[in-house]
Amino acid sequence: MAENVQHAIAQKKDEPAGANEWEPKIIGFLCNWCSYAGADLCGVSRYQYPTNVRAVRVMCSTRISPHIVLELFTAGADGILVGGCHLNDCHYITGNFYTEKRLRLMKKLLEDAGIEPQRLRLEWVSASEGEKFSKIVTEFTEQVKKLGPSKVKKDAALKTRASAADGASQTFRLRALVGKELGLEKTGNVYGQKLDQTELEKLIDAATKDEFERSLILELSKQKARSVKELGQIMDVPTDKVLRHIVVLRQKNMIAMEHPDGLTPTYKAIEIGGEQ
Amino acid sequence: MTKDVMVIGGGIAGIQAALDLADKGMIVHLVEKTPSIGGRMAQLDKTFPTNDCSICILAPKMADCFSHPNTNVITYAEVVGVEGKVGSFKVKVLKKARYVDETKCTGCGECLEKCPSKVPSEFEMGLSNRKAIYMPFMQAVPRVMTIDKEHCTMITKGKCGNCKKACKREAIDYEMKDKILELEVGAIVVATGFDSWDPSSATEYGYGRYPNVFTALEYERMINAAGPTHGHIERRSDKKRPIKMAFIQCVGSRNPQVGHPYCCSVCCMHSTKESMLAREHHDDMESTIFYKDMRACAKGFWEYIERAKRDYGVRYVNSDATVQENAETHNPIVVYDVGGRQQSEEFDMVVLATTLVPRKETLELAKVLGLKADEFGFLESSERILEFGKTVVPGIYLAGYAAGPADIPESVAQGSSAAAKAVEAIVQAGG
Amino acid sequence: MADTIKVDPKDKPRIGVFVCHCGTNIGGFVDVKSVAEYAKTLPDVIYATDNLYTCAEDGLVSIREGIRKHNLNRIIVASCTPRTHAPLFQATCESAGLNKYLFTFVNIREHCSWVHMKEREKGTTKARDLIRMGVARARLLIPQEEQRVDVEPSGVVIGGGVAGMTAALSLADMGFPVHLVEREAELGGFVKNLNNLYVTEKSATDTIKPLIEKTKAHKNVKLHLGSQMKSVEGFIGNYEIVIGAKGAEDIKAKVGTIIVATGALEYVPEGLYGYNQYPNVVTLTEFEILCKKKALPKMKNVAIIQCAGSRGQVKTYCSRVCCNVAIKNAINIVDNYDNMLGLAEQLGTVIEKVPVEQKVPEEIIERRRRRRGRERGEEGEADEVKLGPSEKIEVTVFNRDIMAYGVEHELTYNKAREKRVKFVRYTTDHLPRVYMEGNQLTVGYFHETLKLERTMPVDMVILSTPLVAQPDAGDLSQMLKVPLGQEGFFLEAHVKLRPVDFATDGIFVCGTCRGPADITEAVTQASAAASRAAIPMAKGYVQAEALTSVVDENKCSGCGTCIQVCPYGALRKSEKGLAEVIVAACKGCGCCGATCPEGAITMTNYTDAQLLAEAKAALQEEV
Repeated sequence: MAENVQHAIAQKKDEPAGANEWEPKIIGFLCNWCSYAGADLCGVSRYQYPTNVRAVRVMCSTRISPHIVLELFTAGADGILVGGCHLNDCHYITGNFYTEKRLRLMKKLLEDAGIEPQRLRLEWVSASEGEKFSKIVTEFTEQVKKLGPSKVKKDAALKTRASAADGASQTFRLRALVGKELGLEKTGNVYGQKLDQTELEKLIDAATKDEFERSLILELSKQKARSVKELGQIMDVPTDKVLRHIVVLRQKNMIAMEHPDGLTPTYKAIEIGGEQ
Repeated sequence: MTKDVMVIGGGIAGIQAALDLADKGMIVHLVEKTPSIGGRMAQLDKTFPTNDCSICILAPKMADCFSHPNTNVITYAEVVGVEGKVGSFKVKVLKKARYVDETKCTGCGECLEKCPSKVPSEFEMGLSNRKAIYMPFMQAVPRVMTIDKEHCTMITKGKCGNCKKACKREAIDYEMKDKILELEVGAIVVATGFDSWDPSSATEYGYGRYPNVFTALEYERMINAAGPTHGHIERRSDKKRPIKMAFIQCVGSRNPQVGHPYCCSVCCMHSTKESMLAREHHDDMESTIFYKDMRACAKGFWEYIERAKRDYGVRYVNSDATVQENAETHNPIVVYDVGGRQQSEEFDMVVLATTLVPRKETLELAKVLGLKADEFGFLESSERILEFGKTVVPGIYLAGYAAGPADIPESVAQGSSAAAKAVEAIVQAGG
Repeated sequence: MADTIKVDPKDKPRIGVFVCHCGTNIGGFVDVKSVAEYAKTLPDVIYATDNLYTCAEDGLVSIREGIRKHNLNRIIVASCTPRTHAPLFQATCESAGLNKYLFTFVNIREHCSWVHMKEREKGTTKARDLIRMGVARARLLIPQEEQRVDVEPSGVVIGGGVAGMTAALSLADMGFPVHLVEREAELGGFVKNLNNLYVTEKSATDTIKPLIEKTKAHKNVKLHLGSQMKSVEGFIGNYEIVIGAKGAEDIKAKVGTIIVATGALEYVPEGLYGYNQYPNVVTLTEFEILCKKKALPKMKNVAIIQCAGSRGQVKTYCSRVCCNVAIKNAINIVDNYDNMLGLAEQLGTVIEKVPVEQKVPEEIIERRRRRRGRERGEEGEADEVKLGPSEKIEVTVFNRDIMAYGVEHELTYNKAREKRVKFVRYTTDHLPRVYMEGNQLTVGYFHETLKLERTMPVDMVILSTPLVAQPDAGDLSQMLKVPLGQEGFFLEAHVKLRPVDFATDGIFVCGTCRGPADITEAVTQASAAASRAAIPMAKGYVQAEALTSVVDENKCSGCGTCIQVCPYGALRKSEKGLAEVIVAACKGCGCCGATCPEGAITMTNYTDAQLLAEAKAALQEEV
């Protein structure tokens, strides 16, 4: 048997590989029922695409929380592709509607952090769209190549901002807002008032900015105790706003005030023992 | 006395019946005539009124049905004899030789490249070719090859043998013979489905004569991303994409002159869906549907028509229609009548909603099983109002289009219903 | 079957990697040998090898032997797609005693060799990466037990119409005890009011009588007439229900499944076409009742108006059954009018209300007479002499489209036309008008072909109004936590493939409470619902794949967001006020996990840690 195989291997000729060309690392989260099946069909049909995407199978795209995506960007992913069933086709009825809402939050946070939101892409691929899958991967790989390698690994400040975005994505407020977003649009709040989508998005965007800034204050003050002025300068946020954030963080017992040499007060994040 | 059940027909109605039975712990023998289960639904691109991707929702059911510990899926097989009665039918099943060992074949497809013959693909409605060794479609279940003995030169002339050489698993066996399986079952569910009537004989529509006249199922394959044109809508005459589409309803149906006075129940919705999909593929596509009555009368259907008009610009014209052709451009010309005045209009492509007829083998099967068929070939229920699906033979039940025009959810409900009736019969017979 | 290998999550992983050539399908495009060699260098990998076909018997044997010889406690197969082959390899692991949740599938065929056929080197690198990702995941896998929940083998059917009775009898005939709850004092629902049924033309009462008798007599059916559901608690297999009747003590029962068959009502067309304003304007069902009571007035001209209140007029939908009921009635009137006339003949020309006496000017009566003559002429004067008994009475069906779907309805429609029932099409731009011209009930309409306004004096107008949802369907929907669709009908789990299931396991729906349907369709759905409900009851348990949500009670704040987002009703508040997963109902999509504001929910077998480890392994520079 081995001979057969060796023979077959020997017959195939490689095209010359560009030896030192940078190749982006792209993670693809694909839902089991549609997009993973579409990728399977793409293979069965032998549609070719670049080798950069590494697929992770999940049961539903709705599984992908903002935290997962943002942690991977913090870890240096060049691009992330999320694939789900077409809207209304979700194997789990409404899962992908939530995915759509979450992707919006993720992109907003990436923007706040200073990472190109184009590195994150959501696509609906059905189980019969094999060719579409190859096109998406080809296009997305090109797009990420144009953006160049993730700067997170080399730029410590950017990495801090990415961590802050990840932190913000895990706050109760943002998760609860995004979790309830669809319900608020469709069935209304506790008073039965349906909320307008654009209004709601404005509200969430404002909350996202706040939470990102607070999270960034925590990240920066984890490294060392810092003054309001210093934080304001690093973050490029007016000091009065930084102070307002600090008041909130102190109420939540997440940051402590210190008085080095009895001069300007500085703040240090309170780290909860052992927990990530 | 046995609690096993046989389901004849592996389309969505049969699959549903089989799964409902197997999930209740009954052993089910599912007999399917073609090499794969899936039936007509596997050919559809999308399904109305949600425009769900058909194969996406069907494939998991096919896989479940095949790998269920309580099912025995016998593909490429036909029922040829039945004796006995409810509680113990003795059924003879002809398992046609597929010349490929199902236990060895992995469906890898290496043999396909080597096979020299070309045969119009049944699954693709003849719009593309398959080989003599083939899998009817990519998501076929079981995922194994079949050799079509009529087109295999090794079997007909003893020349070739390429596929055998290509197969590392040694799965090819040109000497394979048809086999008769004898099975004992307590009840039988018949779900043999439908065929699309060939409209060539109705010359007023020009099908077969004018290249740019298609049947609805041909069009359905064409817009499927995995279909013969990879989802591109193309005219037969010049491979150009059409912009103006005409859909003509009731081609051969509601028309006693061609022998199908009945209504197929699904085509109004089907053509509406196809019009919407055309617009989804390309913004500039315009569809006109020529109809007698717009029969959109199940849950969410009328709303779907309204949406087609409002959001997809589908135009509905209440008129009979016939087709002529502009010989120069091969553009079909639809002749119709509005307010008693005859009009004609040129289109780029015409799609015919042809009659859906019970499969012709159904009549043979009815004889074997002792069932009654009506004048159109539909299998008859013995009690039409309260026990649809019960037949003159206790222990044999009907589901799906073979029992009368039905759409997918109706076929599914009938599949489950037939399963319930089979269980009731076996329990009542003391099984 | 080998003895079960005990794997403690704390045990050091011992991973075996089996890389498949799949003939030349993988081997032809990826350097499989080198990939297997590379796998050996990965952390915790004890054994790695390559197979020509891992799925062939010799491949499976090599997995079993690997587990035995090398004490492997995690297995990775790198070959084709898990969507078709995972069950095979999982079963192989189990046959060697290894929990199937310790198996990891890496797809290097569909996702690698077949899509990078011209890039051997890069494809091989990707295969290595994919296996490294698989190893990272495998290291974090822990064995899982699939939870079983016992199912009470009995059901409750809500609603005692034809659908409810059929569902109850089907379950009863399959051997399951069933409670049948009907709020009226007798069985029969909507159908018991009807005169005769289409297709068979038999009397409705006679048709359903055997069904009612069988239901009453069946030893497995416990009837609760004049009763309603008061409460439902629990989940599939384990519902605690309370049935209440007026003036009686509540009945408590435990059931495994629930079937909803609460039926529909006929829309009352207040304000449409002179209903309740002019005499002799009735709905389709009122007409049936008049026929049944033999209380029809003397008539020569009858108008039936279709879609009165449906298809966008009041309700958005088409009510499916009215065209065929109207056609049946039209034929009844034409064929059978003499027999249908009964006592009321003595009453004269008017039913229910006596019209206000109005003096009609002579010229109007004359004009009406002339118009009527023209009307007759236009609709086939030449044939008038040939008319049989039906010449006494004329029926005109004003319609938008005639929904005579299928075989029988279309044939009946043709028969009606042969019997000279007139079908006049109208559009929504020109609705027919019903008014009094003096003492004469009149229909005005627009003739679409002639493009002319016409009038027709009539003796009766029958309005085909749609079936509408029960006004209190919302209460039941809340009690059962199952959804209603836009028009108040119950919403099934999937429009195409799950027509009688609710998304919530253990609850099913059939008949007109899920949308307009005729009797045949309703009872077919009913026995389908019984079939679906019988599945967990026949098995006696439900077993959930170990892919479900898990709530960390220490983190949960009881905010309830997860309960809102779960499409399956698989989460509820526990007695402590915290989120609790109903494992039997959970499908494992992970929506709650990604939503939980406290990060308190994770997914078995798809934890954040597992997903992140797998994905991060892809980012590593190759060792």
